[in-house]
Amino acid sequence: MPASTLRVGLVSPYAWEVPGGVNFHIRDLAEHLTALGHEVSVLAPADDEAELPPYVTPAGSTVPVSYNGSTARLAFGPMVARRVARWLKEGDHDVVHIHEPIVPSVGLIALRSATAPVVATFHSSQERSRAMMIANPLVRPGLERINARIAVSEDARRTLVEHLGGDAVVIPNGVDVQRFADGRPDPRWQGTPERPTIAFLGRLDEPRKGLQVLLGAIPELRRRHPGARVLVAGRGDLDRALDEAGLTRDDVEHLGEISEGDKLALFASVDVYVAPQTGGESFGIVLVEAMSAGAAVVASDLNAFRAVLDDGASGRLFRTGDPADLARVLGEALDDRDGTRALVEHARTAVRRYDWSVVAARVLDVYAMVTQAPADEDGLLTRLLRGFRRDE
Amino acid sequence: MSAAEITLVAVGVLALVAVVLVNLAQRVDRLHRRVVGSRSTLEAQLVRRAEAAAELAAADALDPASAVIVAEAAWAAAVHAPRLVGGEDGDLADTGVERGLVESELTIALRAALGDAEDLAELRADPAGAALLERLESTCYRAQLARRFHNDAVVATQQLRRNPLVRLFRLAGRAAMPVTFEMDDEVFGGAPPATGS
Repeated sequence: MPASTLRVGLVSPYAWEVPGGVNFHIRDLAEHLTALGHEVSVLAPADDEAELPPYVTPAGSTVPVSYNGSTARLAFGPMVARRVARWLKEGDHDVVHIHEPIVPSVGLIALRSATAPVVATFHSSQERSRAMMIANPLVRPGLERINARIAVSEDARRTLVEHLGGDAVVIPNGVDVQRFADGRPDPRWQGTPERPTIAFLGRLDEPRKGLQVLLGAIPELRRRHPGARVLVAGRGDLDRALDEAGLTRDDVEHLGEISEGDKLALFASVDVYVAPQTGGESFGIVLVEAMSAGAAVVASDLNAFRAVLDDGASGRLFRTGDPADLARVLGEALDDRDGTRALVEHARTAVRRYDWSVVAARVLDVYAMVTQAPADEDGLLTRLLRGFRRDE
Repeated sequence: MSAAEITLVAVGVLALVAVVLVNLAQRVDRLHRRVVGSRSTLEAQLVRRAEAAAELAAADALDPASAVIVAEAAWAAAVHAPRLVGGEDGDLADTGVERGLVESELTIALRAALGDAEDLAELRADPAGAALLERLESTCYRAQLARRFHNDAVVATQQLRRNPLVRLFRLAGRAAMPVTFEMDDEVFGGAPPATGS
């Protein structure tokens, strides 16, 4: 079927300049849809002075708001509402695709004023506070305007179904599989049989990223593999974390915050990537990136990770939050080289379904389903009157 | 309070009630339009699915018995069964149950005719068969999407129409209560096609 050009409007609730999963996803989606010949514009909270890609329209500066247990930078207020209205009007979109529509920011405003068909993607796994947000009477009328709902994982879908009724289509987040597969190893991080390398990547001071679980597993790991090197990458205070775990600087190698390019090299180099997250993950894109690059994955057995790892066929799982179990599984991954190689091979094929070429096509399928029916442009009154006239 | 003041308060209260009711009526109306729109999309996708099945049956890609059964089921779904739309004013025609049964029969026929993963791989080895199969996969997937989105709209409408105010003031007018469209749509075991259309 030859795809006709669509005018697509993507809406982000989070400040564009703050790096985060949702905005990376929107950026990649915008670029892939553009490459397929569609006209894409993105509306996101951002200052006017901010350096933005040409397709991003700034919706105004953000205010730090305590929301859903953490501080988020959101945009709202009359000025933002006017900009949303103008962007919608000038864009004249065939479809408006709103990400995280229940976050009280640009997306929620766009939801109320969009006249084009609306597609919404629910990213985060919905904790209780979010479930309440869905039930909020101020949000409900907006949610009724969504023509098609996408959830990024089965977990996210289940919560939606439970709290909102109806259903959602599961379309995972996309990854540039080839880019990670082409990553060049860096000798500094490459392991040897005597000195295998294990990498952690994530905020060091955010408990749910699970650095403490990994640090807790180090003593036991060292007993079995004295030469194992643990590489820790990410922002935050490492010394405090080490103190709490009773370890010293000599026990790990600190890489600090690493660039996107270094991330590619890291995944291509290390023997094992460990994801000890303790919760709050709905998808696990980093796992897919590590798998694409050919690193063996050891992850906590959260539902989201279990799904990404094909229930253990693409990587090893350990009991969430249990350092002793993590040490056992890490030892297994290092000892059973053949088993680990088989998992990595399976993972290489399994990640294809997360490749952007597949994901973008599936998103376009959804767009096609909502843009087919011509929108009824008449207002309620016009149609009521027309209805009465027909009755006469 | 003087009579004028009482009148003023009464007018104010009435105006407030009116705003609330108009708002609700607009929501009901918007949902009804969503139901009608998604229903016509679903109708179109189901027809495309049946067409893809008929093409596959006509192409000598299946065994003769399968071809006849799939062609019959596709014909029944695409032509004979009642339409989901096309009532006088795009009303929510009560044709869903019967149509759902016919579409499910097509699904069951396709599942049996296509066989298991090995048979599918064999069919895919032939370029002509592969193209037909890809089209069928894509249309089946899109029909699933369309049904999901339609049922979402139906469920949201049902929820709002249970609101006491909507019922008391009959804000839904004479429109029939929409019902979800039920059918067996798992032709390929739920696995979406690896490539889009």
